[in-house]
Amino acid sequence: MNDFINQALLKPLELLGRQLLTVLPNVLAMGIILLGGLFTAWAFGFFVERLFRVIGFDHLCDRLGMNAALLRGGVKTDPSRLVGRSIYWTVIVLASIAALGALNLTPINQFAQSLLAYVPHLVTAAVILLAGYFLSNFASQAVLIAAVNAGLPPARLIAACSRWGLQVLAGAMALEQLGIAQHIVVVGFGITWGGIVLAGAIAFGLGAADLAKEFLERRLVARSKSSRDDDLHHL
Amino acid sequence: MNTGRTPLTAPTEARLQDIDSAEILVGIPSYNNADTVGHVVRAVSVGLAKHFPSRRAVLVNSDGGSSDGTPAIVARTAVDFQHLFIGDQQSVLHRIVTPYHGIPGKGSAFRTIFEIARRLKAKACAVVDADLRSISPEWIELLLRPIMEEGYDYVAPYYLRHKYDGTITNSLAYPLTRALYGQRIRQPIGGEFGFSGALAAHYLDQHVWESEVARFGIDIWMTTEAIASGARVCQSFLGAKIHNPKDPAADLSAMLMQVMGALFASMEQHEGLWSRQKGSQAVPLFGFPYEVGVEPVHVNVERMVSHYRQGLTDLEPIWRQILANDTFTQLRDLQGASGTDCRIPDELWVQVVYDAATAYHKRIMPIEHLLKALTPLYLGRTASFVHATQGLTSTEAEQKIEALCHTFERMKPYLVERWQPPALQPAAPDLLHHATTDAGGEHE
Repeated sequence: MNDFINQALLKPLELLGRQLLTVLPNVLAMGIILLGGLFTAWAFGFFVERLFRVIGFDHLCDRLGMNAALLRGGVKTDPSRLVGRSIYWTVIVLASIAALGALNLTPINQFAQSLLAYVPHLVTAAVILLAGYFLSNFASQAVLIAAVNAGLPPARLIAACSRWGLQVLAGAMALEQLGIAQHIVVVGFGITWGGIVLAGAIAFGLGAADLAKEFLERRLVARSKSSRDDDLHHL
Repeated sequence: MNTGRTPLTAPTEARLQDIDSAEILVGIPSYNNADTVGHVVRAVSVGLAKHFPSRRAVLVNSDGGSSDGTPAIVARTAVDFQHLFIGDQQSVLHRIVTPYHGIPGKGSAFRTIFEIARRLKAKACAVVDADLRSISPEWIELLLRPIMEEGYDYVAPYYLRHKYDGTITNSLAYPLTRALYGQRIRQPIGGEFGFSGALAAHYLDQHVWESEVARFGIDIWMTTEAIASGARVCQSFLGAKIHNPKDPAADLSAMLMQVMGALFASMEQHEGLWSRQKGSQAVPLFGFPYEVGVEPVHVNVERMVSHYRQGLTDLEPIWRQILANDTFTQLRDLQGASGTDCRIPDELWVQVVYDAATAYHKRIMPIEHLLKALTPLYLGRTASFVHATQGLTSTEAEQKIEALCHTFERMKPYLVERWQPPALQPAAPDLLHHATTDAGGEHE
């Protein structure tokens, strides 16, 4: 009976206790890392948010039209706060990965490593999206002004096309960076643009041949006529 | 202060060593002006021989890479002085024909001329455009004698022009310069100027040669810089100005951007000066004013109004950023019903200009976008001016411009108020509501 109790009950319990004692330091380390990460994330987030406010980041974003864009997207938080929160969550994610690593369990370690290896791609994709967004805004504004000054009636359409074109391009590049269906993105992008150009050419050349002729004649004749009519010396 | 030298070509350096020094320098910036530059060179040569026969003089052609042989024409153009009753020419006119370095544009051409003036220690300088058809030898005397004999530092031209000629000058450059700096210089971007060697050296020392000043902004910058530096300023009556159209490749929005950019940049630099200035004073005028017939100018008002209306619709989000709410609302409310109707009264135009200057100062958007977005507004104002002056004589149209200048001066507190940082602005600015169409006001 004693043997039975020793073999069937106490030995597994002893084994479990040993295993727990082996893992306990790792669990403690994980807890400490998580707590430290939480504090670091809060401190970093708070400090960066304050710093961005002091250097006038919100004002800069306002001038770049980012605040308006955020509002359009339903985001009412100011950009400094957004950056602060992004830093906070980035540190939390990194601390969580480090904490999981502290358990020293093979599957979890592999998962943490693959997650870490993916972070640079995430960051690159985010930078591409941001750069694409700013570039598209800048370019579409420049295109709009130039088109209006040139007297082109579809100025807003041209500007919108340039904006969406650049944003779609940035999106495709970001997806490619993330490794999501790389070939499908590239092929899809090529097919879409090729299709748009071909459709436009066919529509303009066949469906609206008379309109195209009339448009070009009006533009060219109007331009030469207007330059004859107007010999203003502005300076 | 920039103490570095502007680079010159090796042949020009050698030529400068040969000439060594000069009392008078006349500069001609050029770019594909083969049609007219010969006439300009002859007028300058005769002017110098007739009015400054004993002075050591140099003619400098600063060319932007003409492909039509302009420099060659400058180099070989000869004058038969005997047929002009000039027999006592005592000094040979030296010629320097040189390309310029830097950003392509009139300002860079001037920079080379200023550098040559400094190297030759010239006492008096003048610059004349290469596209002039109406220049006469007397222009050279009128631009140089106030410097040589009257102790002035800067001579601005005073022309008779058609009422629709020089619309950027009439609606913007003249009224704004006058309101800001208190000097009534009628043609601040005229193109022909006289200036002392000391002022040329001052111009060279400024760090502006990579900005709009390097292009069409040079004329307004020279005038404002002369006033701001405390130079003695006067004007000379030159009669009618007839010239070939500007470089056809230079589109209006680029021209406007360069002039406005230079104006607004000067405002930032000399804020302390203009913010204290109230009213304006007449600037001495040399020469003998006379009436002269001017070339008619055809204006396509319909096209201008069409541009303005498109701007009002398509550029609304941008204009809303640049202009005060009140200004934009007035523009929208005043939009006429009929096709060619466009009314932008003086007060509203002044608000637009002051709002634009403030927006430039506060960098609310990329500067190039801001300045180019103003082109339809300028065209709307020009169309409005044409409407208001149709059937009027040049003198009557000039009175309209004078009234606009008074409005610019009277509403200057609006600019000063908006220019300040928000913390320094009063709680409820109400200046605009006092603006009336009366041309009098607080003008001194």
